[in-house]
Amino acid sequence: MRTLKPPFNALASLRLAIFIILSMAALAAVGTITEARYNAEVAQKLVYQSVYMYTVMGLLIVNLIAVMIDRWPWQQHHVGFVIAHIGIITLLFGAWLTQKYGVDGTLMFEQGQERRSVVTHDRQLAVYSSLDGNSLRSIYETDVDFLTHPVSPEKPFVVPLGSDEMKFIQFENFAFRESEILESSKTRDGPAIRFQLENPNVNMTQWLRRDSHSRNGEIDLGPAIVVLADSPPPPNGRNAVVLVPNSTQTALDYVIYNKDNSVRKKGRVKQSETVETGWMGMKFRLLRYLPHSKENVSYKVSPTASPLSTSALRFTFQNQEYWLGLDSALRIYLADRMFMVSYGHRQLELEFPLRLKKFSVGMYEGTERAASYESLVEVPNLGQVTISMNEPLKFQGFTFYQSSFEKNEKGEPVASILSVNHDPGRWVKYVGSLMMVLGSVILFYFRRVKWLSHLSK
Amino acid sequence: MIRLLLGLCLVLGAGSASAAETGKPLETLPMQDGGRIKPFDTFARETLQLVYGKKSYEGKSATEVVFTWLLIPDHWMTTPFIEVRHAGLKEALKITSDERWLTPQSLFTNERLPLVIQELQSLRERGEKLNPYQQAVQRLESQLGLFQAVRNGTALRFVPNPKSDRWLAVAELEGDLKDSFVAMSKGFVEAVSGDQAASENFMTAVATFIDKARAQAPEKYADMTRIGWEQHLNQFHPFKWAWIIYLSGLLVLLWMFSGGPRWTNSLSWGLLVGGLALHGYGMGLRIYLAGRPPVSNMYETVVWVPFCCVLLGLILERIQKTKLLLACASTVAIFCLILTDLAPTVLDGSLQPLEPVLRSTFWLSTHVLIITLSYAAFFLAFAVGDVLLFFYLKDEHKFSVQIQAGTLSIYRAIQVGIVLLAFGIILGGIWADYSWGRFWGWDPKETWALISLLGYVAVLHGRLVGWVKNFQLAAASVVGFSLVVMSWYGVNFALGAGLHTYGFGAGGVEYVAGFVVLHLLWVAYVSTARYGSSKKVTSR
Repeated sequence: MRTLKPPFNALASLRLAIFIILSMAALAAVGTITEARYNAEVAQKLVYQSVYMYTVMGLLIVNLIAVMIDRWPWQQHHVGFVIAHIGIITLLFGAWLTQKYGVDGTLMFEQGQERRSVVTHDRQLAVYSSLDGNSLRSIYETDVDFLTHPVSPEKPFVVPLGSDEMKFIQFENFAFRESEILESSKTRDGPAIRFQLENPNVNMTQWLRRDSHSRNGEIDLGPAIVVLADSPPPPNGRNAVVLVPNSTQTALDYVIYNKDNSVRKKGRVKQSETVETGWMGMKFRLLRYLPHSKENVSYKVSPTASPLSTSALRFTFQNQEYWLGLDSALRIYLADRMFMVSYGHRQLELEFPLRLKKFSVGMYEGTERAASYESLVEVPNLGQVTISMNEPLKFQGFTFYQSSFEKNEKGEPVASILSVNHDPGRWVKYVGSLMMVLGSVILFYFRRVKWLSHLSK
Repeated sequence: MIRLLLGLCLVLGAGSASAAETGKPLETLPMQDGGRIKPFDTFARETLQLVYGKKSYEGKSATEVVFTWLLIPDHWMTTPFIEVRHAGLKEALKITSDERWLTPQSLFTNERLPLVIQELQSLRERGEKLNPYQQAVQRLESQLGLFQAVRNGTALRFVPNPKSDRWLAVAELEGDLKDSFVAMSKGFVEAVSGDQAASENFMTAVATFIDKARAQAPEKYADMTRIGWEQHLNQFHPFKWAWIIYLSGLLVLLWMFSGGPRWTNSLSWGLLVGGLALHGYGMGLRIYLAGRPPVSNMYETVVWVPFCCVLLGLILERIQKTKLLLACASTVAIFCLILTDLAPTVLDGSLQPLEPVLRSTFWLSTHVLIITLSYAAFFLAFAVGDVLLFFYLKDEHKFSVQIQAGTLSIYRAIQVGIVLLAFGIILGGIWADYSWGRFWGWDPKETWALISLLGYVAVLHGRLVGWVKNFQLAAASVVGFSLVVMSWYGVNFALGAGLHTYGFGAGGVEYVAGFVVLHLLWVAYVSTARYGSSKKVTSR
């Protein structure tokens, strides 16, 4: 037993405690700076949930237990010390429970929509295959975290697909999507146009492309839509410019519809020609016409997080390189089949659906400043419930909080975002916290008594 | 019709300081602005502060100045009173003059300004953080926007609208209301150059206008008692009187330390309690007017913390009989309160409506109140530590009694601070759990609060091992306060990340950093000096 003494003393020592406390403080400080430079997720993954942090926390628990054993048998003046230290251990245990078994995600729905899928923070990579282009079969699915497990051309993340494999060779946490439309030599590829719409108030230039596997390409410009189609689709009650390729390869047939579905105008337009649409002096100019086109998507690396940046993956498959953005899917067509690769947040299905009846924003009088957000939600067996800021809904072990909302271009709210949470460690953490504070108060009270008696000597 | 007044108003444009009281009746004219109903006095002060950088203009009250923007806009167009101080912004606008104030005319016709504002706009659309230059552009944009909106009457919403939550602006007034407003304006002009009778006429005209405005929608109109109190708060400025009284208390204390008569003891106590009462009175008024605890922005905490500091100082002094505590507490209070007067753009004292998430006030207020209370305890420990370091530098044997007593005070203050901070962090966790669904999320504000807590806990543990003796405790209380400064100010103003965005602000980083660095240097200097002298002692 005696030989065990020195290492045990070291584990129970106050010096180790001070070292641990200061290390935790230093790590936490690094974390906040990381968050300011990048974002909360990076700070979480690279600092707060890093090996270093877990090591320090582990040491802390060992130290707390060792020091309590060391002081055995406890005396009256140890009460505060023991309660505070057990409180800290309980708190950390609760935090671990939350981390391990808790759910934290978001649920977004538009008014009238019914949803049950919760988007979590975990990311998932999945591959589907299809022989006929319609029915998809999942052939690969896994959780991935390229931030803590980086990839490179030398050390790629490999997804085996029969005799072939996909090699993920680059991950960028912050990147901007860039797309380029080019002429294609494959006659299977769909057409693309670049056009300009202009009147004294509006001047916009856009690309519009029809995918080889869809019948229409369409851009909604608010008051009007522009459609690029195989054959003229029936009008759908909107102002529309419909363009249909013909056998000439240099010109397109066009039809302009009014809101009342009547045909305003018909004709043929060549590259760099202009058509008067007749709506508010709007001119339609065909700047470029590619009978067969392809879209090259790439991502440009951004040094820091910005609201427009997204994460992106680069991978190789059959000697071709592809970029894949977060929360998107890419279809790769081979001679005999199609693969779809998707990279996105993992979704969790609730056992019950929620329906958003109404979402409203209250404003401070006479301003555009929001004073409150409120979602009226229909819950099975509960009926209609209002979820507002600071007034969450608790249901079947989950808690739903009003988190934020989505706006359209006009600034009107269109969708409500709830944060969904399941936390089995909640009460453990509360009890731990209470013990910690209570313990410190008792501890300091006894130290005061000691100090005063020391002073009076 | 308002334009007709132009000729008359030229008299005013020439300006006479004797008319300082002319605008008085306008001060309590209720209006709707920034999401609440406030007296015109408040609006005018806030506006002038933003546009001109001060709360009065060449001896004229804000109310008069801002009101005349509406009456004689052409005069103001050519008066240099738009504050532009950022050198980079001046350069971007190709302005060569070194003047602090520019005329609206020169800015409105500046060719570069639209481009500069366009740039800012695109940055804002991308949701990016603004650097000091961009913040200066943003300020100029709102200065000009506000001047413009006052000038054309769209910002001045004096009349409640029965059909909408939005009050009617001067520019939207019609018929009888418009006539009444014009009459009031005329009354103002006549009162400026006129006699007692003209002033009385003006007062009646204002009262008539208020009655007519109220008649539009009586249930929506302002509570005149509240308006009166707010105008009183603006006028009286209790925090200024509070620091003046604290200062006299501090001087009496210093007199007592240098051997003043016995009664200076009670007098200093009386003065500090008096200062505290005024300080509390001012905060009470703000709580009444805002309807919430006084801790929802930087300004409010910089007023609240010294209040707690003095209170804590008085309580600890009763227990420990250490007069040094009182001197330190009052110094902290004077420092903070003067700061709020000196830096009105960084510490914005205007009463603002709250973000939605802050509207459940119970948990919010409890956790912030308690955490800021702990800041007060650490602030007090810091001030005492500073003084002890001074004693150490002078002669630690001569001052050993004071050092002993001061160490006890620091120790006690740190203990109080630790318990409060731990409790406050946990309450913050409970609030976050309750409104966001997460107890602890490593948000920078909470993380820095934790770092401060860990720092002070390390100090107390160090004392148990014997690493932290009296001198080190004094030094640690000064160094440790840097952590508090970081979590209190730094996270919101320097780091600018995380969920506590509603407390974010800009400005003053260099001064606060200077304050921290100077204190670290001071600690280093005293430590070296003391280490050097102790070496000499042992070598002898």
